[in-house]
Formats: sequence, structure tokens, C-alpha cells
Amino acid sequence: MSAQLEISNLHKRFGGLVAVKSVSFDLKPGEVVGLLGPNGSGKTTVMNMISGALPCDGGSVRVGGKDVTALKPHKVSKHGVARTFQLVRPLPTLTVGENVLLSVAYSRKPKWGRAAQAIVDEKLEFVGLAGRGDEKVTNLNYIDQKRMEMARALAAEPEILLLDEWLAGLNPSELRIGIDLVQHLQGQGMTILLVEHIMEAVRALCSRCIVMSAGEKIAEGPSAEVLQDPVVIKAYLGDDHA
Amino acid sequence: MKTSIAFALAFTALALLAVAPLILPEYWTGVLLGMTGYVTLATAWALFSGPTRYVSLATVAFFGVGAYTVAVLNEVLPYPLVLLCAAGIGMIMALVVGLSTLRLAGVYFVIFTFGLAELVRQTVSWWEVNVTYTMGRYVFLPFEGHHIYWQLLALAAITFLIAWAIGRSRIGLALKALGDDETVAAHAGIDVTRIKLFLFVVSSTIITLVGAIQAPRWTYIEPSIVFNPTVSFMTLIMALLGGAMRLWGPLVGAVPLFLLFEWLSGRFPDHFSIILGALFILIVFVMPNGVLAKIDDLRKGRQS
Repeated sequence: MSAQLEISNLHKRFGGLVAVKSVSFDLKPGEVVGLLGPNGSGKTTVMNMISGALPCDGGSVRVGGKDVTALKPHKVSKHGVARTFQLVRPLPTLTVGENVLLSVAYSRKPKWGRAAQAIVDEKLEFVGLAGRGDEKVTNLNYIDQKRMEMARALAAEPEILLLDEWLAGLNPSELRIGIDLVQHLQGQGMTILLVEHIMEAVRALCSRCIVMSAGEKIAEGPSAEVLQDPVVIKAYLGDDHA
Repeated sequence: MKTSIAFALAFTALALLAVAPLILPEYWTGVLLGMTGYVTLATAWALFSGPTRYVSLATVAFFGVGAYTVAVLNEVLPYPLVLLCAAGIGMIMALVVGLSTLRLAGVYFVIFTFGLAELVRQTVSWWEVNVTYTMGRYVFLPFEGHHIYWQLLALAAITFLIAWAIGRSRIGLALKALGDDETVAAHAGIDVTRIKLFLFVVSSTIITLVGAIQAPRWTYIEPSIVFNPTVSFMTLIMALLGGAMRLWGPLVGAVPLFLLFEWLSGRFPDHFSIILGALFILIVFVMPNGVLAKIDDLRKGRQS
């Protein structure tokens, strides 16, 4: 099967610092893949280059066979890519429902009015915020803001979902809820790339993992194997533990 | 239902305002004229700068260009065509300025727009002195105060209609979103640059027309009159006082402030700028979101 998301030789420099160095990997349709690595290894930078938030200095990103490398975020989103952000980013002047409505109104199949409202309600219900569309975003607690952000991403009806530490900062019971939600999406056939530090979530969700360290891909393979890999353990914990 | 009542009320108010000059003495027609001008300026300004939070001080650049277009063309073309030319020039200028500056954010945009107003003023002055050898121009159009007032009133009504329609549309939602967080807005699929540019052009065109319509009021025009930066500051402060994020905010701010300024400039012509500055600071400190938001807050505070 052809790749849903195809990344080859991705490169990014910030001044003298090489943040991402020829990183390549593919995601097949319906796959949930973990993108791991210590802090500062370039995971979020890769996410940003896929979504168009950052221009690449080299390499290419292909979505469903189409080149989206040089495209701006609003164009990339039209190719069916949606994302959440490392630090949750609600839009405070909009209500919870309007936050989600925004994605519906500017998706590939834009809707407005009643039809749009139906999708908003459906997505809010899916993430567990049914009936809370009129609330202010600032009144939501942390997990609910994360839920809302997920609903906003899903409202664009994407094929690829980029989750940047979406599960970080949740307590154990919230984490369970979060994992269930992602598993539910997995069941619907969504292709998901997941930047995550919580190993419990990675083991539960990802069939495959890619590990980065200092801007380079150092390992790739089935989750269980990759997490045992001495190179990976060394990158996270240092030489003594390998 | 609520909307139709609001429309009926707005229409009644508009009709009353339209017949006012037939009843009121000449002086008050002049006051209404100035007030309508500023209500339109502040509403048009808030159309773009309110939700996007791009504080523009270029108001007077467009306003002055509108006035000057009329001054230059009033003897050459019939009046409606002159207005059309003014709108066109304002639109093109807004497109050029927008394309080159809307990537600037925050304070850089503020400074640029302030600089732009000065640049336009200096350029026009230089042109008049060195190329056309005139420093002032006369506008002879057969208009009395109430004619100009009616035109402004019509423009104000159109501006409110545009603002209302945008506020209910997808574009209004996108504007609020990009004022909050451009990155998130872009990832939701919004072409951020295009929407900002569109709104900037609409807003600037209206501002240009206000300048054009008001031009006959002065009879004699020179750059220091129609490019007076006080116009930019007054517009800004009026919109902020009422609340730039709301449809009626700029109106609520413009009416009392215009009357106050009118009174102050008569009473304390020498200290006017000082008072203006002090008011500015006071408003920003006490009511950064405007009177309407403040009233809402107070109401909520009492309820809880």
C-alpha cells in the first residue's frame, strides 16, 4: 500500500544549529506511529515542518502522494492534515463551539450555519464535551481544553492527525480517557503521528515508533523492539544504562 | 426576531438623524456632521483593527488622500466620479500597503502605519511645492453642511451594514481567531494573509471616502489640515473607549468623545493636545476593552 505520509531527507537549521538532519519515514494509511526522543531532539520541529508551520531547509513532505513541502499551513490543512499543539492553544475570544466551528468553516468541504453546527456538536460529543459548546474556553480545565483542541482538529475531517504531546500533563485517569479517545480514532482508520513522552501511551497506541536524538533518526521499528534498543536507551538515559 | 427589532430601531434612528438638519440650527448640523464622520471612521477602523488587534495609525493617510483626491479632481470630473476615484485610489493604496506590511506584527505595524501617514503627507507637500507649485487647494462644490452630512450618514449606515454582515459570517469568525492566534487560525485552514488584506482594504476604502466626502467642508485644503495625525489618534481612542471588538462599540465611544472634544477645543484650544493625551492614557488603563465590555463585567459581577 502507498504511504499516507511520506517524509524524506527533511532538514532544518536554526542559525548554526541543525535541528533536524535528513530525517525520513513513512506512515501507511491507518497507522498510529510514535515519534519519540529526548527533549530538544527535533520532534516538534518535524511536526511543524509537516504541518507547514515552519519552512523546511531541505527534503520533502508528501501527503497521499502529493508534495506539500513548500505549502503554508492553511494549504497543508486542505490536504487533510490536522494537528494539536504541544502547549494547548485555545482561542480565548471564541466559545468552545466556535473554536471547533472555525475548522468546519475553513475545511476542505467548508460548511456554515446548521450543517456546520451539526458537525461541531458531533465532534464535541465524540471528545466528551457534549452540550458545552457555549462555554468560554477559559472556563475549561486542562483536559477539557485538550479535548476541545482535539475536536477542533477532527472537525476538519482530516486523514492525518498530528498529536504533539496531546497526552502530556494529564493525571492517570484522564490519561486513560485520552488513550481511549485516540484508540477510537485508530479504530476509524485515522492515520496518526504522535509525539509522546508517556511510554504507557506509546505502548498502548503505537504499533511502530520512530526515535530521534539530536536531530537525527536513530531507530525505527515495532514499538516493543525499539524501546529495548540499546541506542534508544542510551539516548534517553546515557551510556551507563545501555 | 431580535435582529428584525434591532434593524427597525436602527432604521428609525437613521431616519430621525436624516431629518435632524431640517429642524436643528446650522451649528448643530455641523456638530452632527463631524460626529457622523468620526463614528464612521471609528467603526471602519475597528472593522480591521478590532478583531485582528493590528493597531493602525494610518487612518489619516487614507482620510487625507480621500480629501486631496476631491481637491484635485473636483473641477475636472463630475462629483460621483470623483468619489469613485477616491475609493479606487484608497483601495489600491490599501492593497499596496497591506501586501507589504501585514506581515509585520505588534508594535512594528503601529510604527509603520504612523510613518506611512507622515510619508504620505510629506510626499503630497513636496509634490505640491515642487511639481504643481501650489501649496493649498480650493474645493468649490455646491454643497451645504447638510448635504455633506447626508452623504456621511449614508456612508455610516453602509459601514454598519458591512460590519454587521462580516460579524455574522465565516470571515468574522476567522478574524477573531487570527486576532487570538494566527498559527492556530492558519492550521484551521484560514488564509490569514488574504483575510487580513481583505479587511484592511475594506476598512481603508471607507476611511478614504470619509475624507473625500468631508473635503468640501473645508473649502481650502492643505496637507497640514487633512493629514493632521490627531485624526488617527481620535479615531483610535474613540474605538477603544467604546470597545473595538463590538459592532456598536466605536459608536458608543465616538459620540461622547466627539462632543467632549468639540467643547474642549472651544474652551481650551491651547491645552487640547494635553487633555487628549491624558484621556488616552486613562482609557487604556481603566477600560482596555472598552465601555461596553466594562458594563458587561459590572453586570456579571452583580449577578454572581
